[in-house]
Amino acid sequence: MTLPAPTPATFSVDDAWKPLPLHVWDQEAAAHLLRRIGFSATPERVATALKRTPEKEIIDAFAHAEPLKMSEALAEYRDHAPANHRMIQRDIRDPEQKRARRNELREQENELFRDFAMSWFQHARQPENSATEKFVLFLQDIFVVDRRTVRDTPALFALQQVLRAGIKADYPELCKSVSREPAMIRYLNLDQNTARKPNENFARELFELFTLGEGNYSEADIKESARAFTGYRTRQRYEFYFQRNLHDSRQKTVFGESGTWRGDDVIDLTFQQAAARTFLIGEFIKFYLTDETVPEAYIEALGEQWAARRFNLAYLIETFFQSRLFFHPAYRGNMVKSPVQFYLGLCQDLRLDLIPFEGRLLKGMDVMGQSFYNPPNVRGWLYGEHWINSTTISARRQVVDYLFSPLNEKSLNANDQRDLEKARQAERGNFLITAEQLQVLLEMEPARIAEHLTTYFITPHFRAAYQPVLAELLADSPTPAADLRHAVIALLQSPAYNLC
Amino acid sequence: MPTLPLTRREFIRRSAGGGLGLLAFTGAAPSFLAQSALAQAPGPEKDRSILVVIQLAGGNDGLNTLIPYSDDNYYRLRPTIGLKDDLIPVNEDLAFHPSCGPLHQLYDLGQLSIVQNVGYPNPNRSHFRSSEIWETASSSDAVQHTGWLGRYFDNTCSGTPQENADPAAVHLGDIIPQSFLAERSHSVFGMNPRGRVGKRQDPAAAAYEKLLQVDHGAGSASYLQHTMMDTLVTERRVEQIITGYKAMTGYPGSQLAQSLKRVAALIHAELETRVYFVSQGGYDTHANQHNSHARLLGELSAAMHAFQRDLTAHKKDDQVLTMTFSEFGRRPSENGSGGTDHGTAAPLFVMGSPVKGGLIGNAPDLKLESNKDLQFSTDFRRVYHTVLDRWLAADAEKILGSAYEPLPLV
Repeated sequence: MTLPAPTPATFSVDDAWKPLPLHVWDQEAAAHLLRRIGFSATPERVATALKRTPEKEIIDAFAHAEPLKMSEALAEYRDHAPANHRMIQRDIRDPEQKRARRNELREQENELFRDFAMSWFQHARQPENSATEKFVLFLQDIFVVDRRTVRDTPALFALQQVLRAGIKADYPELCKSVSREPAMIRYLNLDQNTARKPNENFARELFELFTLGEGNYSEADIKESARAFTGYRTRQRYEFYFQRNLHDSRQKTVFGESGTWRGDDVIDLTFQQAAARTFLIGEFIKFYLTDETVPEAYIEALGEQWAARRFNLAYLIETFFQSRLFFHPAYRGNMVKSPVQFYLGLCQDLRLDLIPFEGRLLKGMDVMGQSFYNPPNVRGWLYGEHWINSTTISARRQVVDYLFSPLNEKSLNANDQRDLEKARQAERGNFLITAEQLQVLLEMEPARIAEHLTTYFITPHFRAAYQPVLAELLADSPTPAADLRHAVIALLQSPAYNLC
Repeated sequence: MPTLPLTRREFIRRSAGGGLGLLAFTGAAPSFLAQSALAQAPGPEKDRSILVVIQLAGGNDGLNTLIPYSDDNYYRLRPTIGLKDDLIPVNEDLAFHPSCGPLHQLYDLGQLSIVQNVGYPNPNRSHFRSSEIWETASSSDAVQHTGWLGRYFDNTCSGTPQENADPAAVHLGDIIPQSFLAERSHSVFGMNPRGRVGKRQDPAAAAYEKLLQVDHGAGSASYLQHTMMDTLVTERRVEQIITGYKAMTGYPGSQLAQSLKRVAALIHAELETRVYFVSQGGYDTHANQHNSHARLLGELSAAMHAFQRDLTAHKKDDQVLTMTFSEFGRRPSENGSGGTDHGTAAPLFVMGSPVKGGLIGNAPDLKLESNKDLQFSTDFRRVYHTVLDRWLAADAEKILGSAYEPLPLV
């Protein structure tokens, strides 16, 4: 059932990154592309994809995305935050009053962060935004910043926007933009990096996590580079500012090259290193293709092409997702869905709106192991099998159970009632599966239902094994509606549905 | 005569081939588990050592836990929240908080060691960062990606879920503690302090079990399948253990006590799990801490005491070491709201029949200016080193990245 992964001996390196021949662009290939580039492969999307070439479909997956809009409340908070913080710091003398005012501001910011999280999930759930937002998740797992450290929603929002815009950029330029983002400046202590007291945190992560990977730079490179990134500051909280008198303008030697380098120069030097051609691609493969190691020869071949295109990310995306290697049978249906993909994919597959209850949704993500903007540490989430343990599995099952249980509106607390009201006003009240929605399926024979469900929800590997089990559950049932509901729930909780 | 299957994987293969439903039992005890445990090569280790970690989340006020009542500086720094009445003296200088009577009893019995003034250099006062430092056992200027207990699992356990039926580690609460983060995947089981473990047996669950039994091949699908089966099996087994457990002592109703009661039940049932993690929240006492801190310490003492008594009555006490930790202590000077702000070092407790008991390390020096912090005297990694090396018989130096001088704890 599981095919051996390709090696240069069985699958030539020259062919690996060539586009998939059109005669094998079939329903399953299209579904594979859609599940990997976005969160789900609904039959309509598959049908549309098949009317196009893979290339056109990939471009199209990103073409209609809108950037996430900043809410008015967040914009207003951002506009007043510098003055508010200044006031607390300078104008209020009484420590108790200081504390009270600071708590108030913190509360406000907490609420804005939760709104940001909810609006992001809402946004990413829209199929036209899914590919873009999944790529944002990928970049957020490279340029890791966490909410615990950066308790400043406008700064987190701004960084996310830079990443979103970066999809079309050349990767070195994106690295430069990120180095100027206040959220990153605070997270990796660039604002404490001065000529007199260098802080190496940013320089180290630039090499280790953003561009080269461990073992491809020396401690001396880090020390020298840290000096090049001195003087990076923010003003008015959200604006980048290069403070010349804190910058170390003396000579530095990085990767053997000497000069009075600044931060951007170091990034340019970094991309002259061989490891820069392969590092991000390796991460990309881990995120989009497989947990297992892919032979270095494939990665090097793509790296060479990518470097020749100035490390353009759109080029990488388009080449990768069209490639024969990406569509190789060994890489189909073998990836554990991330919690975000599991949940948003469920909503798309079931045509449901997001659960409107802020507490439930965000807590659900926490328990599944992917808190919004809060990775466990600077290395980010590890993806793949690391998502899976008894706690997170139970949490995933509970999400499915919840979507198939009736809502008891009387038991909602005041916050939930407010959230529900808001969702309904925005015509997003359809967030649970009702008995009527399943009713149509019951007109079919059990074997047909089983075939339909497995084709709809899971990858081909498991269909043959799952169908008889499902059909048996539905056969000669005295309570067909209930049994059908249970069969669908079980299928959505099964190993197969947790893979893509 | 057919040989006993050695691994979970083998069970699956057989049940798939023979059509014998592995999880076809309904509600009854999963009998193959007993077999599975027996079939494990090393056999059940009846005398293995177990570690229970109690997290005091929020930053426990160490100076009001173990009170330096003979030191005028204490009362100078804490004119309103400094404790004077009903203290429970440990010696002529130090006393337990009035709520810590049960802990004092254990101390008198020699079953409680107090490690004084524990912290680390260049302390960080953020809850998150300082918790991270404690849980990953890193220095304050370095970031570790894995937890200290996670690295212990990496170094000792096989890692794949099909090799071992019982979880490597159990935590009480929704989210996996950072201490458990590991390089490899380990079977970690989480449950809530109260209520049912896992789902009630419903018809959808029966369908789910049937799907779990089909052949999923290898790779991630097999990994998911095995983890899901292990989870089901463990949930049921744990539920059964917990509902059938007869504690030999009354446990208070607090969340912490109920958590420890569950841990006691699992230890009594001789799960192969070596590490348990429970948590008590609420220690972030910035304002009006007098009553709230008393309540917290009361709960902590009563829960630990009940747990220890129960273990002793079940003759499991010589197998279990229990330790507390908190991300930091609190500022020696009280603040203007009858509370204390984030600080640095604090004492921690290590409990168990095997502990040597008594006071370990030096008390903090309180000759401090207003609003200055304590200077720690014992690095927390010395405690970890001792626990790993002397108690869990693991390679402490490898796990912690350097050697730390052991403490006379066990």
